[in-house]
Amino acid sequence: MPGAPRADRRDFYEVLGVPRTATQDEIQKAYRKLARQHHPDVNKDPGAEDRFKEISEAYDVLSDPQTRRRYDAFGPGFRQVPEDVDPEAFQRSQAGAGAGAGGFGGGGFGGGLRDDLGGINIEDLLGGIFGGRGFGPIPGADQEAGLELTVEEAFEGGHRSVTLEGPDGRRTLDVRIPAGVTNGQRIRLTGQGGRGSEGARNGDLYFVVRIAPHPRYRVEGRDLYVDLPLTPWEAALGTSVAVETPGGETKVKVPAGTSSGKRLRLRERGLPHPRGRHGHLYAEVKIMVPAKLSDEERRLFEELAATSTFDPRRR
Amino acid sequence: MGYALVLVRSASLNLEAFARATGTHPDLVRRLVTLGILEADRDAAGDLWFARSQVTVMGRVQRLRAGFGLNYAAVGLVGDLLDRIAVLEAALEEARRAGR
Repeated sequence: MPGAPRADRRDFYEVLGVPRTATQDEIQKAYRKLARQHHPDVNKDPGAEDRFKEISEAYDVLSDPQTRRRYDAFGPGFRQVPEDVDPEAFQRSQAGAGAGAGGFGGGGFGGGLRDDLGGINIEDLLGGIFGGRGFGPIPGADQEAGLELTVEEAFEGGHRSVTLEGPDGRRTLDVRIPAGVTNGQRIRLTGQGGRGSEGARNGDLYFVVRIAPHPRYRVEGRDLYVDLPLTPWEAALGTSVAVETPGGETKVKVPAGTSSGKRLRLRERGLPHPRGRHGHLYAEVKIMVPAKLSDEERRLFEELAATSTFDPRRR
Repeated sequence: MGYALVLVRSASLNLEAFARATGTHPDLVRRLVTLGILEADRDAAGDLWFARSQVTVMGRVQRLRAGFGLNYAAVGLVGDLLDRIAVLEAALEEARRAGR
Protein backbone atom coordinates (compact mmCIF):
# COMPACT_ATOMS: atom_id res chain seq x y z
CA MET A 1 0.00 0.00 0.00
CA PRO A 2 1.41 3.43 -0.82
CA GLY A 3 2.06 5.32 2.39
CA ALA A 4 2.43 2.21 4.52
CA PRO A 5 5.86 1.66 6.03
CA ARG A 6 7.59 -1.43 4.77
CA ALA A 7 8.33 -3.77 7.59
CA ASP A 8 10.93 -5.68 5.61
CA ARG A 9 13.25 -2.72 4.97
CA ARG A 10 16.78 -4.00 4.80
CA ASP A 11 19.85 -2.42 6.26
CA PHE A 12 21.23 0.15 3.78
CA TYR A 13 24.77 -1.27 3.98
CA GLU A 14 23.39 -4.72 3.24
CA VAL A 15 21.43 -3.32 0.29
CA LEU A 16 24.62 -1.94 -1.27
CA GLY A 17 26.64 -4.98 -0.20
CA VAL A 18 29.30 -2.96 1.63
CA PRO A 19 30.59 -3.21 5.21
CA ARG A 20 29.68 -0.52 7.72
CA THR A 21 33.27 0.67 7.56
CA ALA A 22 33.10 1.29 3.78
CA THR A 23 34.64 4.50 2.47
CA GLN A 24 32.52 6.99 0.50
CA ASP A 25 34.31 5.79 -2.64
CA GLU A 26 33.37 2.19 -1.95
CA ILE A 27 29.75 3.20 -1.37
CA GLN A 28 29.69 5.17 -4.60
CA LYS A 29 31.25 2.29 -6.53
CA ALA A 30 28.82 -0.29 -5.13
CA TYR A 31 25.87 1.97 -5.91
CA ARG A 32 26.96 2.72 -9.49
CA LYS A 33 27.44 -0.96 -10.21
CA LEU A 34 24.08 -2.01 -8.77
CA ALA A 35 22.22 0.91 -10.36
CA ARG A 36 23.54 -0.10 -13.78
CA GLN A 37 22.25 -3.63 -13.24
CA HIS A 38 18.83 -2.75 -11.93
CA HIS A 39 17.88 0.47 -13.70
CA PRO A 40 14.35 -0.15 -15.05
CA ASP A 41 15.41 0.74 -18.60
CA VAL A 42 18.24 -1.79 -18.51
CA ASN A 43 16.47 -4.53 -16.56
CA LYS A 44 12.88 -5.19 -17.59
CA ASP A 45 12.19 -7.63 -14.79
CA PRO A 46 9.25 -6.43 -12.66
CA GLY A 47 11.37 -6.94 -9.51
CA ALA A 48 14.15 -4.67 -10.78
CA GLU A 49 12.27 -1.45 -10.07
CA ASP A 50 11.85 -2.40 -6.44
CA ARG A 51 15.52 -3.26 -6.18
CA PHE A 52 16.58 -0.05 -7.93
CA LYS A 53 14.45 1.96 -5.55
CA GLU A 54 16.00 0.22 -2.57
CA ILE A 55 19.52 0.84 -3.91
CA SER A 56 18.74 4.51 -4.58
CA GLU A 57 17.32 5.01 -1.09
CA ALA A 58 20.37 3.40 0.48
CA TYR A 59 22.70 5.54 -1.60
CA ASP A 60 20.76 8.72 -0.89
CA VAL A 61 21.35 8.16 2.80
CA LEU A 62 24.87 6.73 2.82
CA SER A 63 26.40 9.02 0.18
CA ASP A 64 25.98 12.06 2.39
CA PRO A 65 28.43 11.80 5.34
CA GLN A 66 26.11 13.83 7.56
CA THR A 67 23.04 11.64 6.90
CA ARG A 68 25.17 8.53 7.06
CA ARG A 69 26.38 9.49 10.55
CA ARG A 70 22.80 9.93 11.67
CA TYR A 71 21.73 6.62 10.07
CA ASP A 72 24.62 4.84 11.82
CA ALA A 73 23.62 6.34 15.15
CA PHE A 74 19.83 6.23 15.08
CA GLY A 75 19.15 3.38 12.63
CA PRO A 76 16.31 3.30 10.07
CA GLY A 77 14.24 5.76 12.12
CA PHE A 78 16.90 8.47 11.92
CA ARG A 79 14.60 10.90 10.12
CA GLN A 80 12.40 10.93 13.22
CA VAL A 81 15.19 12.10 15.48
CA PRO A 82 15.37 15.87 15.91
CA GLU A 83 18.23 17.52 13.99
CA ASP A 84 19.82 18.94 17.14
CA VAL A 85 20.45 15.53 18.72
CA ASP A 86 24.15 14.80 18.43
CA PRO A 87 24.71 11.28 17.01
CA GLU A 88 27.89 10.69 19.03
CA ALA A 89 26.27 11.84 22.29
CA PHE A 90 23.29 9.60 21.53
CA GLN A 91 25.50 6.58 20.87
CA ARG A 92 27.47 7.22 24.06
CA SER A 93 24.20 7.40 25.97
CA GLN A 94 22.97 4.17 24.39
CA ALA A 95 26.20 2.41 25.38
CA GLY A 96 25.90 3.96 28.85
CA ALA A 97 22.28 2.84 29.21
CA GLY A 98 23.39 -0.69 28.44
CA ALA A 99 25.93 -0.45 31.25
CA GLY A 100 23.30 0.82 33.68
CA ALA A 101 24.12 4.54 33.41
CA GLY A 102 21.60 7.35 32.82
CA GLY A 103 22.21 9.74 29.92
CA PHE A 104 19.50 9.79 27.24
CA GLY A 105 17.87 6.76 28.77
CA GLY A 106 16.17 3.90 27.02
CA GLY A 107 12.86 5.64 26.57
CA GLY A 108 14.09 8.85 24.96
CA PHE A 109 13.32 8.08 21.31
CA GLY A 110 12.36 4.47 21.75
CA GLY A 111 8.80 4.62 20.44
CA GLY A 112 9.69 6.42 17.26
CA LEU A 113 12.83 4.45 16.55
CA ARG A 114 11.31 1.05 16.94
CA ASP A 115 8.52 1.80 14.52
CA ASP A 116 10.71 1.78 11.42
CA LEU A 117 10.03 5.24 10.04
CA GLY A 118 7.24 5.92 12.46
CA GLY A 119 4.52 5.76 9.82
CA ILE A 120 6.37 7.97 7.35
CA ASN A 121 6.98 6.25 4.07
CA ILE A 122 10.39 7.01 2.68
CA GLU A 123 8.80 7.08 -0.78
CA ASP A 124 6.76 10.08 0.33
CA LEU A 125 10.00 11.77 1.26
CA LEU A 126 11.81 10.84 -1.93
CA GLY A 127 8.75 11.18 -4.15
CA GLY A 128 8.89 7.74 -5.78
CA ILE A 129 11.66 6.05 -7.70
CA PHE A 130 13.07 9.10 -9.49
CA GLY A 131 11.02 11.87 -7.98
CA GLY A 132 12.05 14.58 -5.57
CA ARG A 133 15.42 15.12 -7.23
CA GLY A 134 14.52 18.09 -9.33
CA PHE A 135 13.66 16.13 -12.46
CA GLY A 136 9.90 16.68 -12.29
CA PRO A 137 7.31 13.98 -12.97
CA ILE A 138 8.87 10.92 -14.59
CA PRO A 139 6.80 8.16 -16.19
CA GLY A 140 7.27 4.56 -15.11
CA ALA A 141 9.21 2.17 -17.34
CA ASP A 142 7.64 -0.74 -19.20
CA GLN A 143 8.37 -4.11 -17.65
CA GLU A 144 8.52 -7.62 -19.01
CA ALA A 145 7.85 -10.97 -17.43
CA GLY A 146 7.78 -14.42 -18.98
CA LEU A 147 4.52 -16.35 -19.16
CA GLU A 148 4.75 -20.05 -19.84
CA LEU A 149 1.62 -21.55 -21.37
CA THR A 150 0.69 -25.07 -22.34
CA VAL A 151 -0.24 -25.76 -25.95
CA GLU A 152 -3.83 -26.24 -24.77
CA GLU A 153 -3.88 -22.83 -23.03
CA ALA A 154 -2.47 -21.15 -26.15
CA PHE A 155 -5.10 -22.91 -28.25
CA GLU A 156 -8.11 -22.11 -26.12
CA GLY A 157 -7.10 -18.80 -24.53
CA GLY A 158 -8.74 -17.85 -21.26
CA HIS A 159 -7.60 -16.35 -18.00
CA ARG A 160 -4.52 -17.03 -15.92
CA SER A 161 -3.84 -15.72 -12.47
CA VAL A 162 -0.20 -14.58 -12.18
CA THR A 163 1.52 -13.53 -8.96
CA LEU A 164 4.40 -11.06 -9.14
CA GLU A 165 6.65 -9.60 -6.47
CA GLY A 166 6.29 -5.84 -6.56
CA PRO A 167 7.15 -2.74 -4.54
CA ASP A 168 3.94 -3.14 -2.57
CA GLY A 169 4.53 -6.80 -1.88
CA ARG A 170 2.95 -9.56 -3.86
CA ARG A 171 0.27 -8.76 -6.35
CA THR A 172 -1.89 -11.12 -8.26
CA LEU A 173 -2.90 -10.19 -11.76
CA ASP A 174 -5.62 -11.67 -13.88
CA VAL A 175 -4.10 -12.08 -17.34
CA ARG A 176 -6.44 -12.56 -20.27
CA ILE A 177 -4.82 -14.91 -22.75
CA PRO A 178 -6.14 -14.46 -26.27
CA ALA A 179 -6.73 -17.73 -28.12
CA GLY A 180 -3.91 -18.41 -30.57
CA VAL A 181 -0.99 -16.64 -28.87
CA THR A 182 2.34 -18.04 -29.96
CA ASN A 183 5.92 -18.08 -28.76
CA GLY A 184 7.42 -14.63 -28.34
CA GLN A 185 4.12 -12.74 -28.49
CA ARG A 186 3.55 -10.13 -25.84
CA ILE A 187 0.40 -9.61 -23.78
CA ARG A 188 0.12 -6.06 -22.50
CA LEU A 189 -1.31 -5.01 -19.15
CA THR A 190 -1.70 -1.26 -19.37
CA GLY A 191 -0.41 0.73 -16.41
CA GLN A 192 0.83 -2.34 -14.53
CA GLY A 193 4.53 -1.65 -15.15
CA GLY A 194 6.90 0.68 -13.31
CA ARG A 195 5.26 3.43 -11.30
CA GLY A 196 5.48 7.01 -12.47
CA SER A 197 6.62 9.63 -9.99
CA GLU A 198 4.74 12.78 -9.05
CA GLY A 199 1.58 11.82 -10.91
CA ALA A 200 3.28 10.78 -14.16
CA ARG A 201 1.77 7.76 -15.84
CA ASN A 202 2.78 4.20 -15.00
CA GLY A 203 4.56 1.99 -17.48
CA ASP A 204 2.96 -1.11 -19.01
CA LEU A 205 3.65 -4.68 -18.05
CA TYR A 206 4.25 -7.11 -20.89
CA PHE A 207 4.00 -10.84 -20.53
CA VAL A 208 6.17 -12.54 -23.12
CA VAL A 209 4.59 -15.85 -24.06
CA ARG A 210 6.59 -19.02 -24.12
CA ILE A 211 4.88 -22.26 -24.96
CA ALA A 212 6.11 -25.04 -22.71
CA PRO A 213 7.49 -28.20 -24.29
CA HIS A 214 4.64 -30.64 -24.76
CA PRO A 215 4.92 -34.44 -24.61
CA ARG A 216 3.00 -34.77 -27.86
CA TYR A 217 3.03 -31.51 -29.84
CA ARG A 218 5.97 -29.60 -31.26
CA VAL A 219 5.19 -25.93 -31.92
CA GLU A 220 6.57 -23.89 -34.80
CA GLY A 221 4.84 -20.55 -35.09
CA ARG A 222 1.18 -21.54 -35.18
CA ASP A 223 1.83 -24.93 -36.76
CA LEU A 224 1.82 -28.03 -34.62
CA TYR A 225 3.69 -31.27 -35.32
CA VAL A 226 2.66 -34.60 -33.89
CA ASP A 227 4.06 -38.10 -34.37
CA LEU A 228 1.78 -40.56 -36.13
CA PRO A 229 2.91 -44.13 -35.37
CA LEU A 230 1.76 -46.65 -37.97
CA THR A 231 2.20 -50.38 -38.45
CA PRO A 232 4.03 -51.39 -41.66
CA TRP A 233 0.82 -52.81 -43.12
CA GLU A 234 -1.19 -49.65 -42.30
CA ALA A 235 1.48 -47.60 -44.04
CA ALA A 236 1.59 -49.91 -47.04
CA LEU A 237 -2.13 -50.46 -47.47
CA GLY A 238 -3.44 -47.08 -46.30
CA THR A 239 -5.83 -46.48 -43.46
CA SER A 240 -7.69 -43.90 -41.48
CA VAL A 241 -6.34 -43.14 -38.01
CA ALA A 242 -7.64 -41.10 -35.08
CA VAL A 243 -5.32 -38.21 -34.18
CA GLU A 244 -5.62 -36.12 -31.09
CA THR A 245 -5.46 -32.36 -31.68
CA PRO A 246 -5.81 -29.52 -29.13
CA GLY A 247 -9.28 -28.96 -30.58
CA GLY A 248 -10.32 -32.59 -30.08
CA GLU A 249 -9.89 -35.90 -31.82
CA THR A 250 -10.00 -36.03 -35.58
CA LYS A 251 -9.38 -38.60 -38.32
CA VAL A 252 -6.46 -38.51 -40.66
CA LYS A 253 -6.49 -40.47 -43.91
CA VAL A 254 -3.21 -42.25 -44.54
CA PRO A 255 -2.82 -42.99 -48.25
CA ALA A 256 -1.49 -46.38 -49.33
CA GLY A 257 2.30 -46.42 -49.75
CA THR A 258 3.13 -43.91 -47.01
CA SER A 259 6.69 -44.04 -45.71
CA SER A 260 8.21 -42.82 -42.44
CA GLY A 261 8.84 -39.07 -42.27
CA LYS A 262 5.92 -38.16 -44.52
CA ARG A 263 3.90 -35.28 -43.15
CA LEU A 264 0.15 -35.44 -43.42
CA ARG A 265 -1.37 -32.01 -43.15
CA LEU A 266 -4.54 -31.39 -41.18
CA ARG A 267 -5.57 -28.05 -42.52
CA GLU A 268 -5.95 -25.29 -39.93
CA ARG A 269 -6.01 -27.71 -37.00
CA GLY A 270 -3.00 -26.00 -35.37
CA LEU A 271 -3.11 -22.90 -33.18
CA PRO A 272 -5.81 -20.43 -34.19
CA HIS A 273 -5.00 -17.01 -35.62
CA PRO A 274 -7.37 -14.33 -34.36
CA ARG A 275 -7.14 -12.31 -37.58
CA GLY A 276 -5.81 -14.65 -40.22
CA ARG A 277 -5.15 -18.19 -41.31
CA HIS A 278 -5.01 -20.69 -38.48
CA GLY A 279 -1.94 -22.89 -38.12
CA HIS A 280 -1.88 -26.38 -39.58
CA LEU A 281 -1.35 -29.62 -37.71
CA TYR A 282 1.18 -31.96 -39.31
CA ALA A 283 1.05 -35.64 -38.42
CA GLU A 284 4.51 -37.10 -39.07
CA VAL A 285 4.46 -40.75 -40.02
CA LYS A 286 6.63 -43.07 -37.99
CA ILE A 287 6.47 -46.72 -38.97
CA MET A 288 6.77 -49.02 -35.97
CA VAL A 289 7.37 -52.77 -35.85
CA PRO A 290 6.61 -55.12 -32.98
CA ALA A 291 9.64 -55.58 -30.73
CA LYS A 292 8.86 -59.31 -30.54
CA LEU A 293 7.13 -61.27 -33.24
CA SER A 294 4.76 -64.12 -32.66
CA ASP A 295 5.45 -67.27 -34.67
CA GLU A 296 2.64 -66.45 -37.08
CA GLU A 297 3.84 -62.86 -37.55
CA ARG A 298 7.38 -64.07 -38.18
CA ARG A 299 6.11 -66.56 -40.78
CA LEU A 300 4.14 -63.87 -42.59
CA PHE A 301 7.05 -61.39 -42.57
CA GLU A 302 9.38 -64.09 -43.90
CA GLU A 303 6.90 -64.88 -46.63
CA LEU A 304 6.68 -61.17 -47.50
CA ALA A 305 10.48 -60.88 -47.52
CA ALA A 306 10.74 -63.81 -49.91
CA THR A 307 8.02 -62.47 -52.20
CA SER A 308 8.65 -58.72 -52.28
CA THR A 309 11.08 -57.11 -54.74
CA PHE A 310 10.94 -53.74 -52.97
CA ASP A 311 14.38 -52.33 -52.10
CA PRO A 312 14.31 -48.89 -50.46
CA ARG A 313 18.12 -48.62 -50.84
CA ARG A 314 18.19 -49.21 -54.58
CA ARG A 315 19.73 -46.30 -56.44
CA MET B 1 -15.31 21.70 -57.51
CA GLY B 2 -11.96 21.08 -55.82
CA TYR B 3 -11.27 19.97 -52.26
CA ALA B 4 -8.33 21.02 -50.18
CA LEU B 5 -6.11 18.09 -49.29
CA VAL B 6 -5.93 17.86 -45.51
CA LEU B 7 -3.28 15.76 -43.85
CA VAL B 8 -4.81 13.88 -40.93
CA ARG B 9 -2.40 13.61 -38.03
CA SER B 10 -4.66 12.20 -35.36
CA ALA B 11 -2.01 9.68 -34.33
CA SER B 12 0.64 12.39 -33.93
CA LEU B 13 1.15 15.06 -31.31
CA ASN B 14 2.26 18.59 -31.95
CA LEU B 15 5.04 20.13 -29.86
CA GLU B 16 2.78 21.56 -27.16
CA ALA B 17 0.67 18.38 -26.85
CA PHE B 18 3.83 16.28 -26.71
CA ALA B 19 5.38 18.46 -24.00
CA ARG B 20 2.12 18.29 -22.03
CA ALA B 21 1.86 14.51 -22.41
CA THR B 22 5.41 14.02 -21.16
CA GLY B 23 5.38 16.72 -18.48
CA THR B 24 8.33 18.49 -20.07
CA HIS B 25 9.06 21.95 -21.45
CA PRO B 26 8.71 22.50 -25.21
CA ASP B 27 12.22 24.04 -25.30
CA LEU B 28 13.68 20.81 -23.92
CA VAL B 29 11.69 18.77 -26.45
CA ARG B 30 12.98 20.95 -29.31
CA ARG B 31 16.53 20.51 -28.05
CA LEU B 32 16.19 16.73 -27.91
CA VAL B 33 14.94 16.72 -31.50
CA THR B 34 18.00 18.75 -32.54
CA LEU B 35 20.24 16.25 -30.73
CA GLY B 36 18.55 13.39 -32.60
CA ILE B 37 17.28 11.79 -29.39
CA LEU B 38 13.61 12.32 -30.24
CA GLU B 39 12.28 11.78 -33.71
CA ALA B 40 9.82 14.25 -35.15
CA ASP B 41 8.39 15.21 -38.53
CA ARG B 42 8.33 18.79 -39.64
CA ASP B 43 5.29 19.93 -41.61
CA ALA B 44 5.20 22.59 -44.33
CA ALA B 45 4.74 25.31 -41.74
CA GLY B 46 7.86 24.11 -39.90
CA ASP B 47 5.94 22.74 -36.89
CA LEU B 48 7.10 19.56 -35.19
CA TRP B 49 4.91 16.45 -35.01
CA PHE B 50 5.62 13.46 -32.81
CA ALA B 51 4.50 9.86 -33.13
CA ARG B 52 2.88 8.44 -29.98
CA SER B 53 5.81 6.04 -29.56
CA GLN B 54 8.07 9.03 -28.86
CA VAL B 55 6.25 9.53 -25.54
CA THR B 56 7.80 6.23 -24.40
CA VAL B 57 11.21 7.35 -25.69
CA MET B 58 10.90 10.58 -23.72
CA GLY B 59 10.08 8.60 -20.56
CA ARG B 60 13.27 6.62 -20.97
CA VAL B 61 15.30 9.79 -21.53
CA GLN B 62 13.91 11.21 -18.28
CA ARG B 63 14.62 8.03 -16.32
CA LEU B 64 18.15 7.61 -17.63
CA ARG B 65 18.92 11.23 -16.80
CA ALA B 66 17.45 10.97 -13.32
CA GLY B 67 18.94 7.55 -12.61
CA PHE B 68 22.48 8.11 -13.84
CA GLY B 69 22.82 11.87 -14.20
CA LEU B 70 23.62 11.35 -17.90
CA ASN B 71 23.91 14.32 -20.19
CA TYR B 72 21.69 14.31 -23.25
CA ALA B 73 24.38 13.11 -25.66
CA ALA B 74 25.02 10.13 -23.40
CA VAL B 75 21.29 9.48 -23.04
CA GLY B 76 21.09 9.23 -26.84
CA LEU B 77 23.97 6.76 -26.95
CA VAL B 78 22.62 4.60 -24.11
CA GLY B 79 19.16 4.60 -25.69
CA ASP B 80 20.58 3.44 -29.04
CA LEU B 81 22.58 0.69 -27.33
CA LEU B 82 19.57 -0.51 -25.35
CA ASP B 83 17.53 -0.69 -28.56
CA ARG B 84 20.27 -2.69 -30.28
CA ILE B 85 20.55 -5.05 -27.33
CA ALA B 86 16.77 -5.57 -27.37
CA VAL B 87 16.93 -6.55 -31.06
CA LEU B 88 19.85 -8.92 -30.43
CA GLU B 89 18.18 -10.51 -27.43
CA ALA B 90 15.00 -11.08 -29.42
CA ALA B 91 17.03 -12.69 -32.23
CA LEU B 92 18.91 -14.85 -29.73
CA GLU B 93 15.67 -16.02 -28.15
CA GLU B 94 14.26 -16.78 -31.60
CA ALA B 95 17.36 -18.81 -32.50
CA ARG B 96 17.25 -20.63 -29.16
CA ARG B 97 13.64 -21.63 -29.76
CA ALA B 98 14.27 -22.75 -33.33
CA GLY B 99 17.23 -24.88 -32.25
CA ARG B 100 15.35 -26.63 -29.50
